[in-house]
Amino acid sequence: MSWKRLWLLPLVYLLLVEEALAQEYQTETGEVVFLSSASLNEFTGESGKLNGLLDLDTNTFDFYIDLNTLETGIGLRDRHMRENYLETKEYPFAEFSGKFEESGQLNLNQPVMVKAVGTFKIHGQEKDLVIPGKVTKISASEVLLEAEFQVKLSDYDIAIPQLMFYELSEIQQVTIKAILKNE
Amino acid sequence: MKRITKSRRLLTAVGTLLLFLIQGVSFAQLERKLATEDRKTDLLFHAPRHINLLTVEALDKNTLHFAIMHTFGPVNGGIRNLYGLDHGANIQFSFEYALEDKFSLGVSRSGRDKFYNLYGRYHLLEQTESGKMPFSLSLMAAAGVNTVDYGYLQENNPDFAQRSSFAAQVMLARKITDQFSLQLSPLLAYFNSPIPAYSIEGDQQLYLALGFSGKYKVTPMSSLTLQWIPNLNNGLRNNVGVGIDVEAGGHVFQMYFVTSPALNEQYLLAGGNGVPGEEFRLGFNVNRIFATGGN
Repeated sequence: MSWKRLWLLPLVYLLLVEEALAQEYQTETGEVVFLSSASLNEFTGESGKLNGLLDLDTNTFDFYIDLNTLETGIGLRDRHMRENYLETKEYPFAEFSGKFEESGQLNLNQPVMVKAVGTFKIHGQEKDLVIPGKVTKISASEVLLEAEFQVKLSDYDIAIPQLMFYELSEIQQVTIKAILKNE
Repeated sequence: MKRITKSRRLLTAVGTLLLFLIQGVSFAQLERKLATEDRKTDLLFHAPRHINLLTVEALDKNTLHFAIMHTFGPVNGGIRNLYGLDHGANIQFSFEYALEDKFSLGVSRSGRDKFYNLYGRYHLLEQTESGKMPFSLSLMAAAGVNTVDYGYLQENNPDFAQRSSFAAQVMLARKITDQFSLQLSPLLAYFNSPIPAYSIEGDQQLYLALGFSGKYKVTPMSSLTLQWIPNLNNGLRNNVGVGIDVEAGGHVFQMYFVTSPALNEQYLLAGGNGVPGEEFRLGFNVNRIFATGGN
């Protein structure tokens, strides 16, 4: 091939990539809710800023959230959560990425159970997790992802002071709901 | 001529390579982006109060800050007086409500001279993580009245205007490191009529001082605290305080030794101070924030 024709290569590549992108679903506005149920105090925190990528060709996924966007309804509690527990200045993101196994073909409005096998990372600590979830194709270009899992704070080096055990639960119940679009 | 073709070739080759790389990265993983580029710095201080002075720490809209503060007698009475606790305490209750994220109004009542104080805080500037705004700046103003029964003074019984006093301050603070925060507070207090019957040592109307408040975080939930308020226009002793702040279950507890029993700005400036050390008084504050719904 002559050097002059080399400029064609990126175009060819782009075409190929377009093909590959065809099964990529993304969002920047997924919902995350966590529930802390301690004996004296129960509260939830939420964010609508979950970023996610789901690739149905390679069966891989990548999700992350800026933990600074979590809100519990009480500003001071949010500030304590960021500064004393999650330490978001140093570790701003919670991340989960890996591969998933489907249990069937994706058809419109028929939920398919998936098993996500990946690495969950928060507070600078990593742990391999298997999270069951549900994927539903809700339109030609959208899939709905729903999942629920638990995060044990001590697994990620997040310490609860003795005084706080009645107010803050060691186990946080996390619920995720996101509509990912293929564009 | 030949040279130009050569560089063009190189450019194309590099361009192609870059394209592959960029595509490759976005294919594998999302780029990690913060939702907000420049966030406000969290918690310069543990609470809206720091030993006896107010801080730049703002309240969220529609939240109520309740503080109960105490100072006891001088510790030099020794164990017989349980280091000043037997003298009873000067106690101040205060309620401060945020009408806006930047503006709050408060009312306090101190036992010493049965003093009611109405005050407001306005937060003009707030420090941000990027350093684009390197410090926080707040303003405070107060008007108070002494409600002691001075009937025994007969015709000299001060009227409402004579019992009134005022305070104003600018609070300039910076979280210098994750552990260390410092606040500078130029303070002013004005007494319409500083008669000897009042529990103050000063006899002038206008008092100027410069407050220093320091916080050094030693654990995620606790800090060492420091307060120093040198007077600028009178011969009264300067106020010195040292203590610790402890966060626990939504409360902030503040325990300290301080040279004055005063708990509001007017009395802090005009009230006088003991000798640091032997005339320290034990003090403690409890701070609690209540969300009042709809936030």
